[in-house]
Amino acid sequence: MLVPKVQFTESRLPNGLRLIISEDHLAPVTAVNVWYNVGSKHEVPGKTGFAHLFEHVMFQGSAHVGKAEHIALVQAAGGTMNGTTWLDRTNYFETMPSHQLALALWLEADRMGTLLDALSQDNLDNQREVVKNEKRWSYDNRPYGSWVEKMLGSIFPEGHPYHHPTIGSMEDLDAASVEDVSAFFRLHYAPNNAVLSVVGDVEPEQVKAWVTEYFGKIPANPDLPAALPDMSLPPRIGREIREVVPDRVPLPRIHWGFRGPLFGDHRLDALDLAGQILAGGKGSRLHRRLVREELLAQDVALFSMGLVAGASVTTGWATARPGVDLGRLETAFLEELERIGHEPVSDDELERAKALTESDELGALQSTSEKADRLSMYATLFDDPGLINDILPRYLSTTAEEIREVCADVFRADNRVVLTYLPAGPEAAADAALGAAAGAAA
Amino acid sequence: MTDAIVVSARPTHGEPRPYHFPRFERQELKNGLGLITVDLPGRALVTASLVLPSGAVDEPEELGGVTSLMARALTEGTSRHDAIELTEASERLGASLHAEAGWDGLSISVEVPAERLSAALELAAEVAIEPSFPAADVERQRDERLNDLLQAKADPRRRADDGFVETIYAPGSTYGRPSAGTEETVPKLDAEACRVIHGRRLDPSRMTLIVGGDLGAVDEDVRSIVEERFGAWQRNPAAEAPIEPHVEAARDGRIVRVIHRAGSVQTEIRIGHLGVRRRIPDFHAVSVMSAILGGLFNSRLNRKLREEKGYTYGAGAGYDMRRGVGPFAVRVAVNTDVTVPAVQDILVELEAMRAGPPTTAELHAARDYLVGVFPLRFETPPAVVGAIAGLLIHDLPTDELDRYRPAIEAVSDADVERAAREHIDPAKLAIVLVGDADAILPSLEGAEIGPIVVDREELPGEAGQGAADAA
Repeated sequence: MLVPKVQFTESRLPNGLRLIISEDHLAPVTAVNVWYNVGSKHEVPGKTGFAHLFEHVMFQGSAHVGKAEHIALVQAAGGTMNGTTWLDRTNYFETMPSHQLALALWLEADRMGTLLDALSQDNLDNQREVVKNEKRWSYDNRPYGSWVEKMLGSIFPEGHPYHHPTIGSMEDLDAASVEDVSAFFRLHYAPNNAVLSVVGDVEPEQVKAWVTEYFGKIPANPDLPAALPDMSLPPRIGREIREVVPDRVPLPRIHWGFRGPLFGDHRLDALDLAGQILAGGKGSRLHRRLVREELLAQDVALFSMGLVAGASVTTGWATARPGVDLGRLETAFLEELERIGHEPVSDDELERAKALTESDELGALQSTSEKADRLSMYATLFDDPGLINDILPRYLSTTAEEIREVCADVFRADNRVVLTYLPAGPEAAADAALGAAAGAAA
Repeated sequence: MTDAIVVSARPTHGEPRPYHFPRFERQELKNGLGLITVDLPGRALVTASLVLPSGAVDEPEELGGVTSLMARALTEGTSRHDAIELTEASERLGASLHAEAGWDGLSISVEVPAERLSAALELAAEVAIEPSFPAADVERQRDERLNDLLQAKADPRRRADDGFVETIYAPGSTYGRPSAGTEETVPKLDAEACRVIHGRRLDPSRMTLIVGGDLGAVDEDVRSIVEERFGAWQRNPAAEAPIEPHVEAARDGRIVRVIHRAGSVQTEIRIGHLGVRRRIPDFHAVSVMSAILGGLFNSRLNRKLREEKGYTYGAGAGYDMRRGVGPFAVRVAVNTDVTVPAVQDILVELEAMRAGPPTTAELHAARDYLVGVFPLRFETPPAVVGAIAGLLIHDLPTDELDRYRPAIEAVSDADVERAAREHIDPAKLAIVLVGDADAILPSLEGAEIGPIVVDREELPGEAGQGAADAA
């Protein structure tokens, strides 16, 4: 085996905090990574966007840390940090020079234990405006920027926890009060709802001592939210959903989306390899045919976003070259998806996809922060950090027949969302956005 | 009460682990090709990068973009293999092979598991030495670039970046356009132009191969591998030396340029002027100064515009240091109705940066960050190889990276103030705003920031609608 095994130890504090430690002394660097088992799927109607807004609030100070001081302290220590929110979880991470590890652990403990001591109306109002500008920047003022929201809205039915995007609704954010945000914190941000991974140039016994000292007295939440209501969905959407989206773009683009197998299901590994074979570079089938040979597309993509309940999102796009007939573009793209569900991929295609996957793993695991994030992820989502070492063997064991089978199941007309972005002036684009907003409110 | 939950005393840090930038040395093959190896034990995915310290700076203005196109076309086929065969061969090795050129350099790089380095370098050598530039593939890549230019005009942030350099550099200046060419120059490019520029630029005696990673895991001696793959490459007597970038400011005074985008929910703001080249004596002082102004999260600009005002998702500023004088820019996107107050805040901060020394806390925060983060920047082979490539491209001494941390530590508050006075000039600022001119102009005109010009060009994809809608 080319890729070395990640060695780690696991323990749990009496308050439920799960601690994973992995030594790697190649560089004087340590990664700290906390996953909270809360994502936008935990939001209730009328309070969308809370998980993400909350991620911002986590940098606004706690009992012993001032507003924006968390980041100032990390940067002054020579570290880097951020937080991200996704449908299934929220994570926070620092990469530190290894002699500064204690500071990062203390900072994470202080906000896990005492965030509400510093929460103020001013800070909430300020970050609400920042988040609105994040939405304008990442979605509204970006060509094709609405596709994720539209895709989630079509693949998952109204009322399903994955139906709305993490950024949420601006009306809901406007309505968020300090009390709402405090309640969200009390419910979800507790040591027994978190996983802490520490990876890098560390002495495990010292890490345990610090973690016990800083996190040990933070009380568990005895009333963690019950498991979400059943999120399961039929494996297919049941029909084709089509939408034409006028946008301020020069080139038309077609986005496709499908319900795919769940993250953790080996069939999603097979679908990932199919994504590599179909769109993973110059030699891939879609790129070769649409971009190189038939000159239909400027670019193509196909990949899956793994989710743990209901369905994953398998999605792709093709940006049309100027003047290209969109019917031809769509036919060519779909023919390739159909073909891979009918005939097994060649041995050579499969071997190439596996070799690239193996190198990607090797590259990813050279980074302490990536290792820490994956350990937290597998512990949070599957209760098994050891999966970090199983994922590559699973990819490598995949057969051509498994790929054919999953592609035949997923790439079907009755499991398909098709968003066609067409060039339009500002008025048409604004009308389309309004229409979408009205539709969402209905 | 919560004091008891988490201890209030902030932890002190331990003893820093000894660290230096990974050691590397340069050797030379008989054909003049430089070879730099840098052993990074445990890093089994090796990066090898063949670097030419010459890029779009050195191309004729009327052929703008030819170096970038030539670099991308290198992997489109060789005298032995077509593009698909090359890609497939590289994929079988688990290698990624790509070539690209920017303003100051061109690189052909592979990332590959150490035990397959030799086979991957064979492909890299083939691509560098005997590219075939098939006409149809070059034309396709050229057309993709033209389409990309269309996309760039419709994307507010790319429009702002391109509009900013157009505004600050005088016509004919090297950096006044995108390095991959413009709508005027790209249509003239073809396979022959790529062949010519390849013949004039690539020369083993002007290039260096940098190999970084776990060299102990490579089966053979790296030098023998490189001799085998690149040894037969002949020196190129026709190759031309890099030229001095030609850079001139467009004007002496201020300008406010509004690029109209009807109904835009945000304004993309760029404010700045010509900056500095990389090889300057006060490089470290400028680095600290720009971190305080717009590099750190708690930089003056981000603190003001994001954390105090909530105008933006993030504000930053910096110097793009190149072989010649690159741009200095503040970059931020704000919601449309606060465009003018945001511009005014930025102007105040730029003046304030010059008006006195930074606080001690600011100085320490910036220096400590730049010094402390240094080892984190070089955790992986691509980062280490990239940093060494930067030394070659900017013709910097080999101990430059070892000197970095002591030199940053030595920057004083007076140095920062001096750097701000020398390299920020409020009288010469160009203020470029991509947003809804009709919404911005009334308050902008009243603000008396500088002479205003408004571009109401039609955006691609809106042909025929702009005029009617505006009426």
